[in-house]
Amino acid sequence: MTSTPAGPPTARATGPFDPPGVEWQGVSPRLVRARLIPASVVLGVPVVAGAVLTALVSPWFWLLVGVPAALLLWTVVLVPRQVRAIGYAERDDDLLIRKGILFRSLVVVPYGRMQYVDVEAGPLDRNLGIASVQLHTASASTDADIPGLVPDEAERLRDRLSSRGEARLAGL
Amino acid sequence: MPTTPPSGRPATRHDGAADAAAGGAARDDLRWRRVHPVTPLVRGWAVVVGALVVVGSQVADDVQSAADLAGRIDGLWWKVVLVLLLIVGIAFGYAALAWRMTAFAVDDDAVHLRKGVLFRQQRHARLDRLQAVDVRQPLLARLFGLAELRLEVAGGTDSAVAIGFLTDADAGHLRADLLARAAGIKAARAATPGTGPAPAPPAGDAAATPEGSAAEGAAPPGTAPGTEPSEAPEAPERTVYEVPPSRLLASLVRLPGLWLAVLLLAGLGVVVTVTRNVGILMSALPAVLGVGGYLFQRFAGEFGFRAALSPDGIRLRHGLLETRAQTIPPGRVQAVSLTQGPWWRGPDWWRVRVNVAGYGGGEGGNGESQNVLLPVGPRSEALTAVGLVLPDLDAGDLDTTLALLDEALVGDARTDRWFLTSPRRARLLDPWSWRRNGYAVTGRALLARGGRFVRRLEVVPHERTQSLGLEQGPWQRRRGLASVTLHSTPGPVMPTVQHMDADEAARLLAEQSVRARAARAHATPERWMEDPR
Repeated sequence: MTSTPAGPPTARATGPFDPPGVEWQGVSPRLVRARLIPASVVLGVPVVAGAVLTALVSPWFWLLVGVPAALLLWTVVLVPRQVRAIGYAERDDDLLIRKGILFRSLVVVPYGRMQYVDVEAGPLDRNLGIASVQLHTASASTDADIPGLVPDEAERLRDRLSSRGEARLAGL
Repeated sequence: MPTTPPSGRPATRHDGAADAAAGGAARDDLRWRRVHPVTPLVRGWAVVVGALVVVGSQVADDVQSAADLAGRIDGLWWKVVLVLLLIVGIAFGYAALAWRMTAFAVDDDAVHLRKGVLFRQQRHARLDRLQAVDVRQPLLARLFGLAELRLEVAGGTDSAVAIGFLTDADAGHLRADLLARAAGIKAARAATPGTGPAPAPPAGDAAATPEGSAAEGAAPPGTAPGTEPSEAPEAPERTVYEVPPSRLLASLVRLPGLWLAVLLLAGLGVVVTVTRNVGILMSALPAVLGVGGYLFQRFAGEFGFRAALSPDGIRLRHGLLETRAQTIPPGRVQAVSLTQGPWWRGPDWWRVRVNVAGYGGGEGGNGESQNVLLPVGPRSEALTAVGLVLPDLDAGDLDTTLALLDEALVGDARTDRWFLTSPRRARLLDPWSWRRNGYAVTGRALLARGGRFVRRLEVVPHERTQSLGLEQGPWQRRRGLASVTLHSTPGPVMPTVQHMDADEAARLLAEQSVRARAARAHATPERWMEDPR
């Protein structure tokens, strides 16, 4: 019950994180790769180093291999599910963003409260063809970040959010 | 657009020539004015004192070698004096240059400020985005009768426009003028252009000439008398409450930090008398200094606290050494919190703090005391303070409102009439305060309650909700609970409703976003004296 299928709208209503009548949009599965590649580099280096040292110096270095390898395995299992759990929905007056499996969160950002929109893509993201859109309100605690959007969708969302924000602008 | 200065004494501050010096980026239809010439001295004293402290501590550390050094340079003393003079001269020259480069101007829509010698900065703050106006007087500035005007706009850290230093009277006039313009009263003033002696032409001429002394001499005599009639009068104010120093002191004495420090010192005293090792005392110095510094900061920052109400909004005045007079226009308070630790429960004292966009804490604002609406006061005063922000909660008649607020402050699930609280199954997650966690909704605001030992109540006007969050951890999900967060602008108030029934939380989220939208449609306009749109 924890993961939600990406893409097609879900019809079932499962508790507080599925407001009725909301069609969730998933993010691109390429985000899985964008998150796994840095993780496997960071965790893979100690694994390889540990393996080499095991072969050359002492079998005790298996311990060095074990911990990062377990973390890596955990990440590989978890990240796809995390990515599938990210969803957003544009309603008439606000944007909903849903995230998380174990620690779930849902943020409602009214378009009129939006101060500015960021579209960001790092080198890896660009290579994979994804970008992230972040909404900023006057509150620093608004965590409204949609990662893993296809660039076209990111641009469409940005323009749409900006125009809707302008139409419903309401000071602070 | 000849804008007239609010100041009756523009003689030293009116400059047209600085426009040319600034590189032409400035508009010439503005009346640029300079700050008071003593400004660099007042701003630079901290640096001087800092240098003296560093030198002094070095000397104190090593008296012997300092004496040696003094002996060695004895014959060369005039060189030392020369170098010192040179340094002072350079510093003074730079300060004078910096002062020359600093200028501000006000027009109907915005305040302009430019400063900087090497890195030029021009800041332009829209008056309809004005969140608060503070008149700040550090100790040294008070001696000179000077004050700094800080215009807070909601632009994150260090976004305030600090105009300073001005004379007390000038700062007062400028504040009144800015508030009048920000309120939207300018229309009435613009309709009487006859009084304005058109200061723009002389300024324009001066901009063409490289040397500004002629213009500075020529323009002011004509303008000074003419500008007087169009000056915005100070809005009348009515004092609502004051915090006597005795109560402030008593409230600080009740804080646990003080007693911990006293206990620590007593314990150390015992240890020292037993071991006869005075060095141990030094180890406690940082802790004692920390607690003492905090308490002194609270005392000095909140000394002589006075709140007043005026058409311009809430006026707060406080400070022992550095005084601060704050004006928060109507509708600028984003959230209010009332808190009461167990140590204040006896006299039923409460502390009221607010979130104002721009007061988020940062350089120049002494963070904590800037966000305080009432440092310490009995329940009736705390409710008055809430009333300053939200005159009408729209919760029914007066008795109902008072009963609701009493319940919000001290009630819990066993006596609740309005509040919706955590279900019993939240007991395991929050064994102490599950009965207090809850919320109530009135026509104007959402009241979020929590905390059993440190009681807290957060009041958020519906139209000030930025965004809403719903959160659920693994334990909460097993028990069918969820927490709702109302995101407010940066500040001490972070309204949350903890551990509600999951479906109730979802309902609150859905309903609150609808309420917020409806309230925003009828919110007071940014220029608060104008008719609502």
